[in-house]
Amino acid sequence: MILKIENVFKTYNGTAAISGVELDVERGERLVILGPSGCGKTTLLRMVAGFIQPDKGKILIENKTVSDNGKCFVEPEHREVGMVFQDLALWPHMNVSENLAFGLKAKKIPKSEIKKRIDEILEKMQMIPFKNRFPKELSGGQQQRVALARALVMRPKILLMDEPLSNLDFELNLALRREILRLQSEFNTTLVYVTHDRDEAFSLATRVVIMEHGQIQKIGSVKDIANYILEMSKKF
Amino acid sequence: MTKKGVLLLVVFIFIIVSFLPVLTLLIKSLFPNGNFSIENYVVLFQSSRTWILLRNSLSLAVVATVVTLFLGIPLGILFSKTNLPFKELFTLLFTIPFIIPSYMIAIGWFYALAPQGILTRILGTHVTEIMLHHFFGFPGAVLVMTSVLLPVVVILTMTYLGLVDPKLEEAARLSSGWILTLRKISLPIISPGIFLAGLLVFALTLGEFGVPSFLRYNVFPVEAFTQFSAFYNFGAATAATIPLGIIILLIVIVERYFLRKRTFELIKGTGKEEKITIELNQWKVSILIFVIVFAAIIVFIPLGSLISKSVSLVACRETFVRSMDSVLRSLVYSSIGATLLTLFGFFLGYLLERKVFHFAWAIDSMAFFLFALPGTVIGIGLISLWNNPATNFIYASAAVIILGYIAQYAALGERMMAATYAQIPTSMEEAAQITGVGWFRRLVGIVAPMAKRGLIATWLIGFLFCSKDLGSTMMIYPPGHDTLPVRIFTLMANSPEEIIAALCVLMLGIAFLPLCALGVIFKKSRVKS
Repeated sequence: MILKIENVFKTYNGTAAISGVELDVERGERLVILGPSGCGKTTLLRMVAGFIQPDKGKILIENKTVSDNGKCFVEPEHREVGMVFQDLALWPHMNVSENLAFGLKAKKIPKSEIKKRIDEILEKMQMIPFKNRFPKELSGGQQQRVALARALVMRPKILLMDEPLSNLDFELNLALRREILRLQSEFNTTLVYVTHDRDEAFSLATRVVIMEHGQIQKIGSVKDIANYILEMSKKF
Repeated sequence: MTKKGVLLLVVFIFIIVSFLPVLTLLIKSLFPNGNFSIENYVVLFQSSRTWILLRNSLSLAVVATVVTLFLGIPLGILFSKTNLPFKELFTLLFTIPFIIPSYMIAIGWFYALAPQGILTRILGTHVTEIMLHHFFGFPGAVLVMTSVLLPVVVILTMTYLGLVDPKLEEAARLSSGWILTLRKISLPIISPGIFLAGLLVFALTLGEFGVPSFLRYNVFPVEAFTQFSAFYNFGAATAATIPLGIIILLIVIVERYFLRKRTFELIKGTGKEEKITIELNQWKVSILIFVIVFAAIIVFIPLGSLISKSVSLVACRETFVRSMDSVLRSLVYSSIGATLLTLFGFFLGYLLERKVFHFAWAIDSMAFFLFALPGTVIGIGLISLWNNPATNFIYASAAVIILGYIAQYAALGERMMAATYAQIPTSMEEAAQITGVGWFRRLVGIVAPMAKRGLIATWLIGFLFCSKDLGSTMMIYPPGHDTLPVRIFTLMANSPEEIIAALCVLMLGIAFLPLCALGVIFKKSRVKS
């Protein structure tokens, strides 16, 4: 097991954002958290990343406790997870290579190795011709690829994605889903993906979590969840 | 060192440098002979002079605020929402009186009304004699303070109007004209911002020392300075600062608890939405003429008098001989002050915007309190703290002037940098953090380059404020360390008018370059957004 979330709670101004969430994620799995806006899915993802400290509960990455009832808290930079943000957060003052190199340099990886890693990942994404371009000189799809490459180049244990395709048109959305699947398999990384789009969830996931009001409603395979949704819709 | 460690250290230094002097002042006023006593306060509030000073100070601040708001709001609307020609040039023009020491505008008016002055040549001696008679006193102080502080209202009105979501105005325009839309939609939405502008004008007028001193209108800051420098009565000088401190504290409370939250609740726009413009149509020419005439009264008359008076080779040579050392000192001290203000702003702004500690609001309120506090009060506070044998190396050097700058203007750097950080999504930093990059490296590699324009703007504003500072510098400058505003103020009594005018023009030149640079930065930011 690569990620374990144990009975996690988070409250904002008296309102529960996350309430008693329990979740296990296996290595190499593609887990998609599906739910409407405000259901707590992004909060949960940001807790795994380490940007939000839970009020209660425990989070373990590769059996190492990274957050435990305020007794222990590992900062995001030491969790070895990657993240693709909803707004992509590409650094506008750095070109593509520099965006990718920034984290590697901080880890004091030798220059030759940095160059090798960047070329390798850009090659896989067919982005080599754009390596010296700045974010504003790239199309929406290219920016998505850079954000994904920046997360993957660090070889994270878990790749977290927070609705990264939500602002794209349908065609590009489909193309990038295929790309995410291909890269996830090539890098053999674990994917935790947050979305409110059912199609996106079913096309990407090996397992789906349905969240509502800060709680997990259902966990299961794509087929299980599809049936569950169908049954729920029949009830109404 | 960790993020919290560095920020705590900066907060600690800020408190020592800025707040401790004022705290020392308060403690010394309560322990006059080493024992607790409220005698100073009893004497203060029993004295009829205190109430006269309070009446003078408050009436000047209230009237100047009302007049400035009355004139500044329409100008702000004209410059931000209409198709008035040359509105950027007008904005720059109206800002000039604010960037130089305010007493220089008073000098300019005095020269304009003098027997050989511009206005006397136009209106005749009999008119200007009457005007000059009224100029020294309350009406003159209101006129000068209004001219000087008008840009505060104009620029804040422009800024807040720029943030109003245009859809709200468009919805109103479907059923009403522009005047009604402005009156019922835009202005009520930005009313907390306008109220803030009014509070700032009120506080800055209340703390003004140079203008009332020149115009012989007795207010608390003048009293504090006179008691200290003329009679060397430290107790009386300290006591004269207390009523101002209490009023400023009330202003900070109003700003903190009533104003700020409402401002951000009401203004939902990002400033990047496409704006709709008010077409002035047939009114364009008449409004343009009105604005030109108004600019002539507020800006051209005082500055024109100074410039025309200074055009003399002898004056220029004398100016060079008498003030070059002060000019250099002003440039050096203001540069150091601006750099330190930017540095403090860099960290304190981060602390405030990213809410690193729960007490960030307290630091912000402290900085705002010190900004609104009259310079003379800060000056006396600095003397209270640093004037002892152990710290004489600070008190007797230029360092004490720099400490005064930091204490008085830290809020500028802090709030400007906080506004800059607000434009940088936290995800930019988080994206670096998650790749394993430490805080300091994120700050240098991500935050600082992205905040580059804000950092430069903060430095330039810091430089402008430091270079024109008179209130605290006048109280604390050690022998041989006077800056240009102080030198002009002290030379005024016994130097030829041409030389004083030339010195004022020189000061204007020093302030004008950073102002132009700021104009370029803000224009570029607007184009980019």
